[in-house]
Amino acid sequence: MSDKHISMQSVRKTYRFFTLDDLTLELEPGQIIGFVGPNGAGKSTTIRLALGLIAPDAGEIRVLGHEIPRDQALAKREIGFVSDTMRLLPQATLGWHMKFVASIYPGWDDAYAASLVKCFNLRTEQNVRSLSSGEHVKATLLLALARRPKLLILDEPTSGLDPVARHEIISEFMDVLRDDSRSILFSSHNTVDVERISDRITFIDRGRLVESDDKERFLDRWRRIRLQLPPGTDEPRLPHVVGRSVDGQFVTLTIDGYSDELLAPFGAHVREVQRMNLEEIFVATVMHHREVRGQ
Amino acid sequence: MNTVTRKLIAKELYVNRLFIVCASIAGIVSVLLCTTSKVGFNVGALIWISTIVAVGVMLALYGIMNERKENSLLFVMSLPLSIPDYVRAKQLGLAACFAVPWLISSAAALIFVLAHPGAPDGLLPYLVLLCVFLFSNYSLVLCGALHARSEAVTSAVVIVTNMAVTLFMFLLGGLDEINKYMWGPTPVWNHTFWAVLAAELATLALAFALPWFFAARRRDFI
Repeated sequence: MSDKHISMQSVRKTYRFFTLDDLTLELEPGQIIGFVGPNGAGKSTTIRLALGLIAPDAGEIRVLGHEIPRDQALAKREIGFVSDTMRLLPQATLGWHMKFVASIYPGWDDAYAASLVKCFNLRTEQNVRSLSSGEHVKATLLLALARRPKLLILDEPTSGLDPVARHEIISEFMDVLRDDSRSILFSSHNTVDVERISDRITFIDRGRLVESDDKERFLDRWRRIRLQLPPGTDEPRLPHVVGRSVDGQFVTLTIDGYSDELLAPFGAHVREVQRMNLEEIFVATVMHHREVRGQ
Repeated sequence: MNTVTRKLIAKELYVNRLFIVCASIAGIVSVLLCTTSKVGFNVGALIWISTIVAVGVMLALYGIMNERKENSLLFVMSLPLSIPDYVRAKQLGLAACFAVPWLISSAAALIFVLAHPGAPDGLLPYLVLLCVFLFSNYSLVLCGALHARSEAVTSAVVIVTNMAVTLFMFLLGGLDEINKYMWGPTPVWNHTFWAVLAAELATLALAFALPWFFAARRRDFI
């Protein structure tokens, strides 16, 4: 039995106008993967495959040691899933949902659920139909967290929320992360949230996984270098340049695989070396991969 | 049947409680209306049939199509259950939701025929066949809604099954072996009655079995 919380090997899923191809993704216990991609990249498809809601055309999926989709019921006993598109039952109150979920999950933590109700400023007697979208996400998050799952799968949970609601939810994640045995797959196109909570980043674009690395290594690898080259000066060729723009004498290079030694050939021409944030790295990675693949 | 399936059946009864209660009351009231006069009988009978048909349609539309459309299905499917578990729970849960008003309304109608001096007991076979037809008709609506991925297909199933009720009453009333005893003082349970009943029960069984072979074996559920 695999000890990985999620193991997807060479998974393929084909639709009429979209193919998720050769996806290999692994989530270790205690790890938090930020799963980043533009809209329509295949994030939700990947998550639905992991939950067994759709079946792969090829490849193997195991979640918490269970074969998916065959043993999805067993795997989902220890999974908390939240999605921005998920809606609770409109005919019932939050309190009813809490009782309902508690009756299914033996690990349900009443005290923790009560503290989340207070923290998120929710009312258990409130009908789900009357919750705002922010409150709805908080309610689904409460129902997922209070069952104390081993694995949390979050599909764009903060999408469409106002900054305050997003802050509250991300802060709650930070608390959850203190539990070292719990792993999280956090899908989003909001790189600020992902950068804040993840310890590993995976980029996906147009159905293909384009990059995956530890967050710190990712941020260390990438730099933007600004050079001032007098007329007639040849620009030294570098192995790790993935983007280049010219503005008069100034040349800006985007580098994946930065080290101090790389600057040696430029000498006094270096005007600025900038660290890049995750959003800039994400855009540069996606654009570079599209260019390489001729898309 | 596992715990989650049982909880989901209970969930159906809870979320559809208003439909169940209102339809049950409407079923009883419509039968009481039948006792008042000839016009009352006609109006009551119309309300009685409409109530049973309508509650079936509402349960299928709200219980299956709306759950899918409003993404509550994603919440349900995040629970520890498989696709066959979901199909089984949905089918049994919604069948239970329909069975309550159907049983109450059918029992009220049978009592009316047996107890009311103006209603001949010969109507009993026709009534029994109509009641069983309404249940098997509902099971077809349920079967269609569990298989359909679009609202248009479900609506088409609803329209066809609705039309089938009038057609069935017309055809059943046109069968000599049913028609000639309908207004008699005693019920006649002849071969025609048993043949129609067998066909209804076979339809019911088929409509309940199909989702277990097709909808429950879908590779892509959402």
